[in-house]
Amino acid sequence: MFFASGINGALGRAFLLIGIIGSLFGAIAAITSARQRDQAVAKLIPRFAVLVFAASFGAFAVMERAMITRDFSLEYVQKVGSVSTPAIYNFAAVWSALEGSILMWVLILAGYTLGVTYWLRKKMDDVLSRYALGVMFIVSLFFFMLSFGPANPFAAGPAGVFDGPGPNPLLQNHLLVMFHPPLLYLGYVGMTVPFAFAIAALITGRLGEGWLLATRRWTLFAWGFLTIGIVLGSWWSYEVLGWSGVWAWDPVENASLLPWITATAYIHSVLVQERRGMLRVWNLSLLVATFSLTILGTFLTRSGVVNSVHAFSQSAIGPWLLAFFAVIVVVSVGLIGWRGDRLHSPGSIDSPLSREGAFLANNVLFAVFAFVVLLGTVFPLVVEALQSRTIVVGEPFFDRLTIPIGITMLTIMAIAPVLPWRKASQELLSKRLFWPAWCGVLALAGSVWVGATGLAPLLTFGLGGFAAGSALRQVVLATRRQGLRGLVGRANGGMIVHLGVIIIAVALAASNSFTHSQELNLEVGKVASFSGHTFELVDVVEVKTERATAVKALVKIDGGKAYAPAITKYVLQGMNVGTPSVKTGLAYDIYLTLEPPVRQDENKARIKVFIKPLLLWLWIGGGLMALGTVLAAFPGRRRRNPTSPTSEDDFAADLLVML
Amino acid sequence: MKTKSVQNKWTWLLVVFAAVALLAFGSTRDSGPRTQADRIDAITKVLACPTCSGESVYVSRASGAEAIRAEVARQIAGGQRSDDEIIAYIEARFGSRVLLVPRSTGLDSLIWVLPVFVLICAVGTLGFAFRRWKVVGSDSISDEDAQLVERALREER
Repeated sequence: MFFASGINGALGRAFLLIGIIGSLFGAIAAITSARQRDQAVAKLIPRFAVLVFAASFGAFAVMERAMITRDFSLEYVQKVGSVSTPAIYNFAAVWSALEGSILMWVLILAGYTLGVTYWLRKKMDDVLSRYALGVMFIVSLFFFMLSFGPANPFAAGPAGVFDGPGPNPLLQNHLLVMFHPPLLYLGYVGMTVPFAFAIAALITGRLGEGWLLATRRWTLFAWGFLTIGIVLGSWWSYEVLGWSGVWAWDPVENASLLPWITATAYIHSVLVQERRGMLRVWNLSLLVATFSLTILGTFLTRSGVVNSVHAFSQSAIGPWLLAFFAVIVVVSVGLIGWRGDRLHSPGSIDSPLSREGAFLANNVLFAVFAFVVLLGTVFPLVVEALQSRTIVVGEPFFDRLTIPIGITMLTIMAIAPVLPWRKASQELLSKRLFWPAWCGVLALAGSVWVGATGLAPLLTFGLGGFAAGSALRQVVLATRRQGLRGLVGRANGGMIVHLGVIIIAVALAASNSFTHSQELNLEVGKVASFSGHTFELVDVVEVKTERATAVKALVKIDGGKAYAPAITKYVLQGMNVGTPSVKTGLAYDIYLTLEPPVRQDENKARIKVFIKPLLLWLWIGGGLMALGTVLAAFPGRRRRNPTSPTSEDDFAADLLVML
Repeated sequence: MKTKSVQNKWTWLLVVFAAVALLAFGSTRDSGPRTQADRIDAITKVLACPTCSGESVYVSRASGAEAIRAEVARQIAGGQRSDDEIIAYIEARFGSRVLLVPRSTGLDSLIWVLPVFVLICAVGTLGFAFRRWKVVGSDSISDEDAQLVERALREER
């Protein structure tokens, strides 16, 4: 036992040290070879990338080994490990607290560094590639140091411990713990790649070139992973954790949403730069903002300054992250200022009613959206610092401010896809928007018909129909011209993403506005009814295992299948975790939760029933967004058609640039 | 270009009229009486659970939230107070930390004011940029500019 534990701790530390040295020398090699144009040194860069990845993989593997062999000599294993945790949750326990998740960050970052190195293997002669890798190595160095120092997962714990509590109960009652955090991290950490290229472009001063075209796919994939991670998190919250909602505007959720917002803005506005060479400063700022928001978000949620239901662990990494955030901002702003002369873009935007005009409007909205989310997240800190009083900024605040923003975004989504570059004539708009507008009216009429009320939801449904009409119009036109190839490429894939977003907006509006609920005190043998459904308690059962006691109420809905909402008491942590049971439907979900206190002996159960309209469509929309992202990542038809200078003739080409 | 008759001004007016009429009808009609459960949900959604971090009473299962929910239910069953009065009563009893919506007075009002301020600044900047682009970017030379050039050329001679 002693030897094994000594080995895990020492090996892990050794791997981290190798990672630090590898990142340091990688950064030095990349930057000196870039400055002195030294080919011999440049040849070393890939070797360091491999070394750094191997070190991170080694450290992660050692951590897994320690967890699997239940090496309780390590403090981290004492904290999140336990003899009774099932294998799969034990495997995932590595990233269930701060130190392990930083280790996962290191692994993913090293993986991205290696991936970018491989991708650049034939472009290594380019100074810009070397600088970009230099930045990646520097960021890696920071995270290796974080893991080696303040967030050390390999620290030795007190002796004589032979079992631990295991991971937080919320992290050991569903398989999703295997996927949601890693996917989110793939998105989060992936934003380092475009940031590295942005910094490299600033250093080399080559801002008008195609570096952003080259990194588009990296950004898109990171964005896609972040999207899937966020959607999976919502699904988890709804189906598994019994929070009955999909989004609570919790600080950790906001921290994942913030970079998503700025990255979404970038994915749109970069097209203006591609096409017209404009908005360079803005695009660079968005990339810098996206990356720095990942760091700031991690600081806010992992340093203990903000309370959160996700705050599974807190530690002393706060000052490190804050300092790193400050360095990123100062360096980036400094570089943008230094290169100010080269950033002035030629050209101008002729009309607000043009595709570039719509992208600008979209960006203004996304900027305000990001500001609102950031403000709501940090405002309690400001009040506490200035007036030492605690305030809570919750869902109602965010809802009030983000619903108008969302509705305006839907309006832009309805009009923008049909706009040509440069300038749109009234005739053209009237022609192209005609059928989409009727789609909107039909959607509105349909929702009034089924009984929807309230201005905001109705606007959402109507504009959703309008925007869906515009998106479908593009897809139909493109597939008519190009067959199945009309589905790939950024324009058409982008429209599929739009459809997913619209479906999500409609589902959110419906489920937030028209959910109703009722508590039912059920008794075995008696039938209660609510909202046209009957609920009959069949039995209340208690399932005891070594690590938890679950009380399940078996409830028959409409005399059919029995659903089993449960409350599980985790013995080691003394924590109750509710598990809902959901009867899913295309029109609405019936969502059952078992309410405390649970009285097992009396054959009675207090159940809360929620009827949630259209909720299933959130996940369908999320799937469509993921599909669209993949389609958009495939290269579409060559878009440049030099013989057709006007956008009217260049319509197919325009389609392809749209996202 | 020949515009088909279906897309003329009148059909567009019809679209706008239909949309406005449907919105007006749908958003003002009575959605039926609110049940007590609906009222409890609406009120508990704007109250914060006192012992958890940022969760609403509506969501939370903590005992502190249960107590507030029970109190809200009792008040509603009593039938004396309006929703706002119940919220004020709960605030008086449990303190201002149970309010999930920031107040619109004092320092807290900044959270409402700043987003609007940022929006106005952003839209203003955009409007300014468009005006500048319009001046810089017009491809054809305006009469004023042409006269300026002519005058300058004349002076040169």
